Amino acid sequence: MTKARFATTRRTVLGGAAAGAVLLGAPALLRAQQGPVVMAALNPLTGAGGNYGPGMLATIQAAAQAANDAGGIDGREIELVSEDTQTSPEAAVRAARKIIDVDQAIAIMGTWASSVTTAVAPLCWESRTMLSAVSGADSITRLPHDGYFFRTQPTTTLQIDAATRFMLDQGAEKIAYIGPQTPFTQDSIDMMGEIALGAGKSFDSLIYEADKASYGSEADQILHGEPDFLFLGGYTPDVTVLLKDLFRAGYEQRMLAFAYAVNQALVESLPQDVTNGIYVFSPTPAVDSQAYQRVQEILGADVKVDPYSAQTYDQANLMILAAAAGEPTGTGIRDALRTVSQGDGETVDNVADGLGLLAEGKSIQYSGASGPCDFDNRGDIREVPFLFEQVQDGSFEVVERR
Amino acid sequence: MASYLVSIATFAGIYAILTLGLNVMWGLTGMINLGLAGFFAVGAYASALVTTALGAPIWLGFATSAVAAALAGAVLTASTLRLRGDYLAIVTLGFAELVRLIASNEIWLTRGTDGISGIPGPLRGALSPADFNLLYFGLVVLGAGAVLVLTQRIAFSPFGRVLRSIRDDDGVAAVAGKHVARFKIAAFALGSAILGLAGAFYAHYTSYIAPDIFRPLITIYIFLALTAGGTGNGVGALVGALIVMAILEGTRFLAAEIPGLSGVQTAALREFTIGAALIVIMRVRPRGLIPEPVPMLGPATGGGREARP
Amino acid sequence: MAAQIAQLIVNGLITGALLALPTIGFTTVFAVLRFPNFALASHVTIGAFAGYVANVSLGLPIVASVLVAFAVAGASGAATDEWVLKPLRPYGALTAAIASIALTVALENVVRFSFGNELRAYDVPLYRDWRFLGVRLGPQQVENGLLAAAAVAALFAFLRFTRIGKAMRAVADNPTLASIKGIDADLVGRLVAFVAMGLAGVGGMLVGLNSSIDPLTGFRVILSVFAGAVVGGLGSVPGAVVGALVVGIGEELSLVVWDPTYRSAFGFLAILLVLTFRPRGLLGERAY
Repeated sequence: MTKARFATTRRTVLGGAAAGAVLLGAPALLRAQQGPVVMAALNPLTGAGGNYGPGMLATIQAAAQAANDAGGIDGREIELVSEDTQTSPEAAVRAARKIIDVDQAIAIMGTWASSVTTAVAPLCWESRTMLSAVSGADSITRLPHDGYFFRTQPTTTLQIDAATRFMLDQGAEKIAYIGPQTPFTQDSIDMMGEIALGAGKSFDSLIYEADKASYGSEADQILHGEPDFLFLGGYTPDVTVLLKDLFRAGYEQRMLAFAYAVNQALVESLPQDVTNGIYVFSPTPAVDSQAYQRVQEILGADVKVDPYSAQTYDQANLMILAAAAGEPTGTGIRDALRTVSQGDGETVDNVADGLGLLAEGKSIQYSGASGPCDFDNRGDIREVPFLFEQVQDGSFEVVERR
Repeated sequence: MASYLVSIATFAGIYAILTLGLNVMWGLTGMINLGLAGFFAVGAYASALVTTALGAPIWLGFATSAVAAALAGAVLTASTLRLRGDYLAIVTLGFAELVRLIASNEIWLTRGTDGISGIPGPLRGALSPADFNLLYFGLVVLGAGAVLVLTQRIAFSPFGRVLRSIRDDDGVAAVAGKHVARFKIAAFALGSAILGLAGAFYAHYTSYIAPDIFRPLITIYIFLALTAGGTGNGVGALVGALIVMAILEGTRFLAAEIPGLSGVQTAALREFTIGAALIVIMRVRPRGLIPEPVPMLGPATGGGREARP
Repeated sequence: MAAQIAQLIVNGLITGALLALPTIGFTTVFAVLRFPNFALASHVTIGAFAGYVANVSLGLPIVASVLVAFAVAGASGAATDEWVLKPLRPYGALTAAIASIALTVALENVVRFSFGNELRAYDVPLYRDWRFLGVRLGPQQVENGLLAAAAVAALFAFLRFTRIGKAMRAVADNPTLASIKGIDADLVGRLVAFVAMGLAGVGGMLVGLNSSIDPLTGFRVILSVFAGAVVGGLGSVPGAVVGALVVGIGEELSLVVWDPTYRSAFGFLAILLVLTFRPRGLLGERAY
């Protein structure tokens, strides 16, 4: 049994190498004109980001499927490859190498952890493959990516500004930030503190260690200053633990968290007493966009759309539309991206309509499920409205859009 | 496909250097180091910082990595000499976690969880990416080869014999007049230096390092590599690293062949196969594929101490 | 300040109590089967999910679910030990330990394959903490503590008063002599694997009752469990309890001195301290 399994592994790799050798020998023209357009989803399917990956993959797959149902890119089918980053930059780099060299994908979508995206980015710009991510670290767009990168997650500046002003407008007097160490934690704390103190309010912060089974003492420490508005900077696994410990510690004031952290999964797993009243915020689509509803349909009526899944839906649509508008290559997408994502064209919010209009020679402007999707030349979102909701009895009620 | 294989082989080579380092510590001297990731990190950060922040040439970065890691190893061993082997394990584990925490939180020094990008590579600007990868692969092969030759020399030298005697029974070694502590520190420092070098190789290849990379999972892979290849054995270490990399990458293609699974299930199946494949290898060849060629003398007294693999 | 420190100690005791059971499991395997079984991590997870299925899918009350967690994790532990780890034990403790690491990776992914990565929680209400003398303590945590204490008491009684328990201690103390006296080492070994991994499973459920569960639950606690076992003295059951509590308290008290971001590191520093002054761990080796 051992030998058989071992031999299969060797045989598969050797077989793949042989096939690769044949492919390398085939004329480049032949390869380009025929066959499917290969794109890739690279998501955290295991590891620390594991509870986000599957949802992101689902919406990417749905977008590709919808495009294929509408005829594909210039009649060519889109073939979607999926790999796991294991939420590790080292594993992600190997996965990206396989995607770029073996699958020869023109686009890679949906990397989550900032360190993963930063590790994969050089492979992409060196091979002229387009990369899109949901990562938040400000440093990513400052890399010399030569246009081969864009992301749908707003920068720390945009997010913290909107969040802090919301809390102040809600009448906060003592704001406190509590979250794990991430590339954007220090920037967030600095910025939030500056705005809060500038408005004459008090500000406190605490950074805890991720992956712990309890945060009782950390809760005690941050509650010492008696804040009346807590900002939770963490992700679903640690926020779940933290909320329980804050509840036990008797905290009854207000809280604001990222919508990707206090998501439906979290709300369903905690008692309503614990989650009632928590505010969440996320980048939100333009008022007239139907894309959000489409994502809702994909994920199912009883599943609240996760901000990351909404973003990857948009990423996939944009990659496909840009490939159709320009050339189905990484460079083609790079050059055509902003002609389909912003500008004066007809507004579309899904890939089928977009492909149809492009085929007629018209110009389009994609407005997505996670926002208007307008990018500056560094690949960052220009501006985006934020939606603030509040958890009530296990569901999310809209509070404000700003 | 060719450049993919070259890239995977390069990573396998870096894993091989790590495995060779572990072999010096554990295979030869019997000292358990569960904190491999920490020494790997020390080497990677040392070289990355020296070449980016201080603008030093790459060869100096490599030298700094080896020295920094060796120092860390020496200090760690010296402060834990009295501890039994199992306790050294927990201390090295703690060391690795501490390194990761420092790397994540001391932003002024290590740029925190953001990581360090733009680490230079030899001739990186002058060559095309494909050519650079090929050149680097050659460098890693040379590096691994050099480390292998060095460790084989040591293994069969008088120094190596003392190390093995310490591994098998350090009481006997002490009675034989050997200053056990000095040998242990030297062996651990040497092994750590090799681990640090692997870190430098990694940093200059990928041009980016971050604390996330240096998690216990890497330590697990290296231990599996050494066990599967053959502990105490330089060539076994190399073979083991290649096997682990082949399993890591091969399962990617295998799992994709199974229809009807969701993304998570495919990923879970792949990781399951990695664990299962290594268990199978160990069951079939418990002493590793290339067991240590040096004949082992059984323990003088029966019972109690089991024979080393 | 005194109240603050008292609170940290209480928090530490709570965390330590949660981890005491898996730590006992780990150290018992070490004592009798003579190798560190890192597959404990996946059995913490297996127990947590077994308890979840019992509590949420089958609607059983907590205590019954805990028993289910014990039984399922124990059965898995005994089976995997028999077929995967036992054949490798003759080749050395470290070979078996490494195999146990590969095993834990495999088992964790069986859980992931079946349940996915989402966080899940048991069907229990959550209450605000009680407060006495400036210190707060939660009803759930008291219940967890009582469950853990009951399990430990049951284990002690088992080891002290039953024939099989005594046989386990005999094999741990001196396997040669034990086999001369006719004790079936294989049977004892299977039982140890069952009980130890069963305890790990109960521990997993207790951790889950305190927060939530996902496939990484066991992996997150394994470092603290290993640390607790070492501090208490590898092979000593009372040592495991003490060690888990010490590690739990040590981590919490570190918050007085330093940043919460370095919490784990101080746990390990505390360990280094203990081991420097008592190299065999607090209660030495295999003290029953």
